[in-house]
Amino acid sequence: MSTPARKRLMRDFKRLQQDPPAGISGAPQDNNIMLWNAVIFGPDDTPWDGGTFKLTLQFTEDYPNKPPTVRFVSRMFHPNIYADGSICLDILQNQWSPIYDVAAILTSIQSLLCDPNPNSPANSEAARMFSENKREYNRRVRESVEQSWTAD
Amino acid sequence: MQNQDGVQVDGEVESATSVPIPEFDEWANFGDQDIMQQHSAIRAEEAEKIPFLGDKEPLSSLAAEYQSGSAILLEKIKVLGEQYAAIRRTRGDGNCFFRSFMFSYLEHILESQDQSEVDRIKANVEQCRKTLQSLGYADFTFEDFFALFLEQLDSVLQGNEASISHDELILRSRDQSVSDYVVMFFRFVTSGEIRKRAEFFEPFILGLTNATVEQFCKSSVEPMGEESDHVHITALSDALGVPIRVVYLDRSSCDTGGVSVNHHDFIPAGSDLPNASGGSEKVSPFITLLYRPGHYDILYPK
Repeated sequence: MSTPARKRLMRDFKRLQQDPPAGISGAPQDNNIMLWNAVIFGPDDTPWDGGTFKLTLQFTEDYPNKPPTVRFVSRMFHPNIYADGSICLDILQNQWSPIYDVAAILTSIQSLLCDPNPNSPANSEAARMFSENKREYNRRVRESVEQSWTAD
Repeated sequence: MQNQDGVQVDGEVESATSVPIPEFDEWANFGDQDIMQQHSAIRAEEAEKIPFLGDKEPLSSLAAEYQSGSAILLEKIKVLGEQYAAIRRTRGDGNCFFRSFMFSYLEHILESQDQSEVDRIKANVEQCRKTLQSLGYADFTFEDFFALFLEQLDSVLQGNEASISHDELILRSRDQSVSDYVVMFFRFVTSGEIRKRAEFFEPFILGLTNATVEQFCKSSVEPMGEESDHVHITALSDALGVPIRVVYLDRSSCDTGGVSVNHHDFIPAGSDLPNASGGSEKVSPFITLLYRPGHYDILYPK
């Protein structure tokens, strides 16, 4: 059945295939356009460099009027990412707007990796380390990078 | 803009008794997801109280609200009663300005069957589409919203198979899948206009919040539920070329003497209406909204 949400998601997918932003990839799971798998590659020349972080995006029929639920499957160490992988990012919450497509969502999450928002900590240990002990913070980030290769 | 907070606080207090909140062993586990869920539960509860769009009510129902309240307001409502016959309320969900505008405009077309106005606004809508494209918006992110608005516009014109009645227009305005899409269409149009004329709007935006034009559009125009201010109204009125009258009902009173009710007409900039050339000939708005701090409803003149 083709609903407005599904039609829109097909176009999101087409755009992501034709014009993929650097360092991200994503696609719907087989037979289910409402559930996507995605990978964000850690940006070069940052502690995240080399990481392949997996996420899922769950859409509802309210898309694009409501944001999808986005979660990291890979274990993350980041001030704005909860232990269960959910993400504290304004555009996925109260600042959502239909102008964001999947490519834009993933690009925003990618830039959040290197540019945390210390005002809304989801992981207080990571938030504290980020501001007080950058060296130890970077070490923990690189640990998560290594984990991202093996864990599945 | 802060008014909404007050409303939300009320909602939260209420929800403590009526919305079951799961127990949390640890505050840390109370994540964004839970907050959003709680937030939408509160919204849903509010929604049951007032539909997106209410029925037409006599102006006396407004006076009834303030029966035991401010004398100035009651006095002003009496003055309003000389010019206006009825009010139609909208839900206070942050989209009330856009929703009031939507219904008021479509109702006007339905009643006037003004084909030339429809042709005119369609040309403006095409211009808005080009604006968004030139600003770098991807077509597919906004085209559904444009298409839905144009569809409503065609359907209020009678004499084609898609034509709808006044009752159906009310139903659609209360149906989230239509109503929210049209609201979003207006948000796109408003944002495009503000960005296109960033230099013009910048000082007004700085007067409201400490944000850049880009930030303002991203945080206060494009997301659903963000309240509208004079910046939004000016931009929408300019972009679509539709004059809007806003009547202010607040406690302010002017010096001594009788009470008067202020209004402000938003007249589209560079109105390319054929009769605007003379200058003295005033374009008069066919949309009248009642503003009470933090909220817009629709007013019907006598």
